[in-house]
Amino acid sequence: MSQPGIPASGGALTGLQAQNGAASASGSSYTNGPIQNALLSAQGYNSQLPGSYSHLIPAKTLNPVSGQSNYGGSQTVSPLSNYQGPGQTLHRPPVASNPVTPSLHSGPVPRMPQHASQNPAATPMPSGSFHPGANVPPPLNWQYNYPSTGSQTNHYPRVSTGPTMSGNTNLTSHQYVSSGDPSHQNNFIKSGSAPPLNPPLPTAFQPGVPLGPPPTGGPPPVRALSPQKSSQRDVPQPSFNSPINQEGITSSTNNGSMVVHNSYDEIEGGGFLATPQLTNKNPTVSRSVGYSYPSLPPGYQNTQPPSTTGMPPSSLSYPSGPQAFTQNSLGANHLTASMSGLSLHPDGLRVINLLHERNMLPSTPLQPPVPNLHEDIQRLNCNPELFRCTLTSIPQTQALLNKAKLPLGLLLHPFKDLMQLPVVTSSTIVRCRSCRTYINPFVSFLDQRRWKCNLCYQVNDVPEEFMYNPLTRVYGEPHRRPEVQNATIEFMAPSEYMLRPPQPPVYLFVFDVSHNAIETGYLNSVCQSLLDNLDLLPGNTRTKIGFITFDSTIHFYSLQEGLSQPQMLIVSDIEDIFIPMPENLLVNLNESKELVQDLLKTLPQMFAKTLETQSALGPALQSAFKLMSPTGGRMSVFQTQLPTLGVGALKPREEPNQRSSAKEIHLTPSTDFYKKLALDCSGQQVAVDLFLLSGQYSDLASLGCISRYSAGSVYYYPSYHHQHNPVQVQKLQKELHRYLTRKIGFEAVMRIRCTKGLSIHTFHGNFFVRSTDLLSLPNVNPDAGYAVQMSVEESLTDTQLVSFQSALLYTSSKGERRIRVHTLCLPVVSTLNEVFLGADVQAISGLLANMAVDRSVTASLSDARDALVNAVIDSLSAYRSSVLSNHQPGLMVPFSLRLFPLFVLALLKQKSFQTGTNARLDERIFAMCQVKNQPLVYLMLTTHPNLYRVDNLSDEGALNINDRTIPQPPILQLSMEKLSRDGAFLMDAGSTDLPELDTPESARTIAFISWLREQRPFFPILYIIRDENPMKAVFLQNMVEDRTESAFSYYEFLLHIQQQVNK
Amino acid sequence: MLLLTMIARVADGLPLAASIQEDEQAFRDLQKYQSQAKQLFRKLNEQSPTRCTLEADTMSFHYIIEHGVCYLVLSEANFPKKLAFAFLEDLHSEFDEQYGKKVPTVSRPYCFIEFETYIQKTKKLYTDSRARRNLGSINTELQDVQRLMVANIEEVLQRGEALSDRNCLYEEAFAALASVAQVIACRPMHQEVAG
Repeated sequence: MSQPGIPASGGALTGLQAQNGAASASGSSYTNGPIQNALLSAQGYNSQLPGSYSHLIPAKTLNPVSGQSNYGGSQTVSPLSNYQGPGQTLHRPPVASNPVTPSLHSGPVPRMPQHASQNPAATPMPSGSFHPGANVPPPLNWQYNYPSTGSQTNHYPRVSTGPTMSGNTNLTSHQYVSSGDPSHQNNFIKSGSAPPLNPPLPTAFQPGVPLGPPPTGGPPPVRALSPQKSSQRDVPQPSFNSPINQEGITSSTNNGSMVVHNSYDEIEGGGFLATPQLTNKNPTVSRSVGYSYPSLPPGYQNTQPPSTTGMPPSSLSYPSGPQAFTQNSLGANHLTASMSGLSLHPDGLRVINLLHERNMLPSTPLQPPVPNLHEDIQRLNCNPELFRCTLTSIPQTQALLNKAKLPLGLLLHPFKDLMQLPVVTSSTIVRCRSCRTYINPFVSFLDQRRWKCNLCYQVNDVPEEFMYNPLTRVYGEPHRRPEVQNATIEFMAPSEYMLRPPQPPVYLFVFDVSHNAIETGYLNSVCQSLLDNLDLLPGNTRTKIGFITFDSTIHFYSLQEGLSQPQMLIVSDIEDIFIPMPENLLVNLNESKELVQDLLKTLPQMFAKTLETQSALGPALQSAFKLMSPTGGRMSVFQTQLPTLGVGALKPREEPNQRSSAKEIHLTPSTDFYKKLALDCSGQQVAVDLFLLSGQYSDLASLGCISRYSAGSVYYYPSYHHQHNPVQVQKLQKELHRYLTRKIGFEAVMRIRCTKGLSIHTFHGNFFVRSTDLLSLPNVNPDAGYAVQMSVEESLTDTQLVSFQSALLYTSSKGERRIRVHTLCLPVVSTLNEVFLGADVQAISGLLANMAVDRSVTASLSDARDALVNAVIDSLSAYRSSVLSNHQPGLMVPFSLRLFPLFVLALLKQKSFQTGTNARLDERIFAMCQVKNQPLVYLMLTTHPNLYRVDNLSDEGALNINDRTIPQPPILQLSMEKLSRDGAFLMDAGSTDLPELDTPESARTIAFISWLREQRPFFPILYIIRDENPMKAVFLQNMVEDRTESAFSYYEFLLHIQQQVNK
Repeated sequence: MLLLTMIARVADGLPLAASIQEDEQAFRDLQKYQSQAKQLFRKLNEQSPTRCTLEADTMSFHYIIEHGVCYLVLSEANFPKKLAFAFLEDLHSEFDEQYGKKVPTVSRPYCFIEFETYIQKTKKLYTDSRARRNLGSINTELQDVQRLMVANIEEVLQRGEALSDRNCLYEEAFAALASVAQVIACRPMHQEVAG
């Protein structure tokens, strides 16, 4: 299987030497240039042997019923659940021996573009065995579609999602979906590529004959699409009314209604697609206004419900022109905007030959691209730190997107700490009555009394209350209200947004007190931290707190007001766990503060002499869940070893000798206990944060599920020891401070809506997906990031702008129900070149990293690595073949993607995806957790650290913040050539700083470092590494531009890409 | 058992404070009652009787209205009425003192949710049979609770006007310290509705 790899990469190297003519004979593993030993470099690729499919998952994971049907239901996100079905296990052995397999493993070198879809049966997606035929990825863009096909097929609840999703798709996809196959996204492709697999399928969708976008296999030029499209539009929309509509009506009830809300889904307002019929309820309005919006092209009418199609636009034009309102310039000005936008960024239009211009890394932090919008719109747009899209110019059709070979998705940091946040309190929150979008800066006001939704184009009335602007105190200026002037805003929610009275802040701490735990000395540190921060815990007079400790038994602490000291209650029956007393275990912090302090002071000593080595983590979690379930809240669990007793006990799975083989890497959980418990927690509004402080393998792949699905976070302090590892002690202490005092939102839900025509299909982050698109977040914290993948369901030819809106409904620690809304507006483009020009390379790399984590878990690490490399090759090939007219030699890339190969190479060398023996399994899993849960800016730092020279800092260009001068040294390339013996360098690698300091620190350096640290929610460790220090290897590991024992140097990587692209 | 406690402004039904149900199982079962209570708040107005018991299946709602604020508690039907009303009176005096003046000014729901701490504590006092002994005053002061209006919650909610339209009837009944006969007079109507 690996045979093709060796000659090919050997070939690559030869080519490299021939071209370069400067073969370094040193053989050092860190040389920047090419080296002679072809075999050595070939190893880099071949070390990920395709044989990785042969391993079997332990038999105990075979719990298909609970794993799939109970919970997997709508968890689009969870590739993990794929793994718990028997299909996976049953499927693997055949794959390993399947003669087709080699094609699955086209390493970066012997790339076989056809492999992804050639043989669905052998596609390494585990879901393949569940739903044969349902998940054939489209042939050409397999990298971007695999997660959607894989997870959708497995998770979407058939009956309910089908119709819902179809709401905004065309007839074809509707029928397709109702035939039982939820992966609507691929409907066009499949008929061609795999008809025999799904015989009923063709009949299901052929009635809707005029297929819109042609199969991705051979997309014709984009222009050819428009005539086709209109015919597709004439197909009558299916009457997608019955089940969804009722839900829609229910959800749109407001004040004064008698409807009982039973779920957050209804409260937050139901999915975007849930209420299409409402337009028909008011045909007069929509007819007279909706479809004659002057700034939109006539073709626009066709996207509306059938009742209005065919109405001549001219006869409907609304008399009072929108010109009176600033809002309405949005669409109209777009064309000019795109013109001016292009001329504004001459640099952005450059085509770059990466082989010639190697040093593309800017010396200042890379700024996200500015969407090519009219400045009046862009001025109002959402801050990219909060909300950004991989493509700031949205391709008009899926075909165009497929052609670009770039992933389309959003990256969110919705609960980020903000300096300024407008908060609106009003009795009615103005939302679209059809899709429940919150009014935002990108809606259009048809006149003073009506506004048109920018997501579904529904025309809505402006409520009387909205006519008055509390800021200017002027009546009749709805377009100047704060809701319409701010893309990020927070609403105080009225009581319709509550299922129950706002919950109190509840904090429960669960401590491992086994012998091993006590040895590390962590308990002292954590208790001290808690004592220090007790008064800073976010909350009010209702705040509740409680403690549980465990070893082989579970210990509870009664903190009843009036007791002279805390009372310990031991439950030794861990098989059938119960709460020894229902009250006084979670107590009011204000009233029992002294007892709590008492307990925190004595707790570390109580177990000082313990000899108990067992750990009953599972039962402890169960009891903690029971204790918290009436209220919900935050559970903080500290664990120092592999759980050994009771439910959830785990066995060691790591085999250090095989780290390098990429075989037998256990990235999947070995039991579904933690996932199931997490889902129970999620249902009761409990989030579990896991602090793992273990020197030994603790199976984070299994343990991490408890946080992942309950919307918690994972913290990992490998080899924590109070004496031997002082940096970790400091790190834990600082991070605990942040953790305990940062903002927190309880009983939260988040929904992301997007303009009709786009559809969100896969979610990344820590949460549980309830009812198709509602993310359940028992807790939300300001340091969590999320990502979603999208596809273009319906072509966007009729619109020039699309919008995305995230709405996060949460209960603050003060007991207020609030809704934080972010809205992002982006232009739609019709040419491939524009798509490339607007690419956001950081967002793309971030989304690819998220997808690669899923891929590592559902398929294998080497698959994920291949997919990453192919992402670069495919997009740059597409650029070369479709955009560039004259095919020059070299590696030509658009300016926007000039750092794409570098960032992908950095991802390949990141802990999550690297090969070689360096990464311990838990560390790798932790890195993957971080990829999924970190906001983009930190993910990029951990992937591609910033390197600064700090021995010659000057005040030139320094920042001045609060009378402090903070020097801003230039960012250097991550290459040994930038280092020198007489210099001092600082590497800012996100959570871990790895500086090299040879000279005395100056005040400037300290100012700079502390400034870097202040910007982080986590505490970067500062390692001082001299030349001879063993830590040097870790430092050098991050020099991503250099060759390592198992990976290409940047230049070699570029040559490899070039070879594939120019093939 | 006292199960649900809610405090709301009569003028617009805005919830001001409430107790979260401690027992998870009970919380699930009580969803229905909670929404009934919310609907009831919207129905109440200045003409509504100021003290009333509403039957709901095996449960009873008891409420009092004082100074434009409604204090409502859900109890099992067999829970002593006088205790329930004593509990509400207790809440009223404390709430009025702490927040009474602010009540007309607020617009956000559950503005005084921190009052929950007091509700929980007081609830314990009234449900714990040992602690109850200390509440000697109850027996004497609230004997007339037996004579309070009794109606059915479903009826009140389904017939939106119930509490206001038939107010005269209620008022009279109330003024005359309603006789049992009048209470029974309400019953057949309920059956019609239910049927």
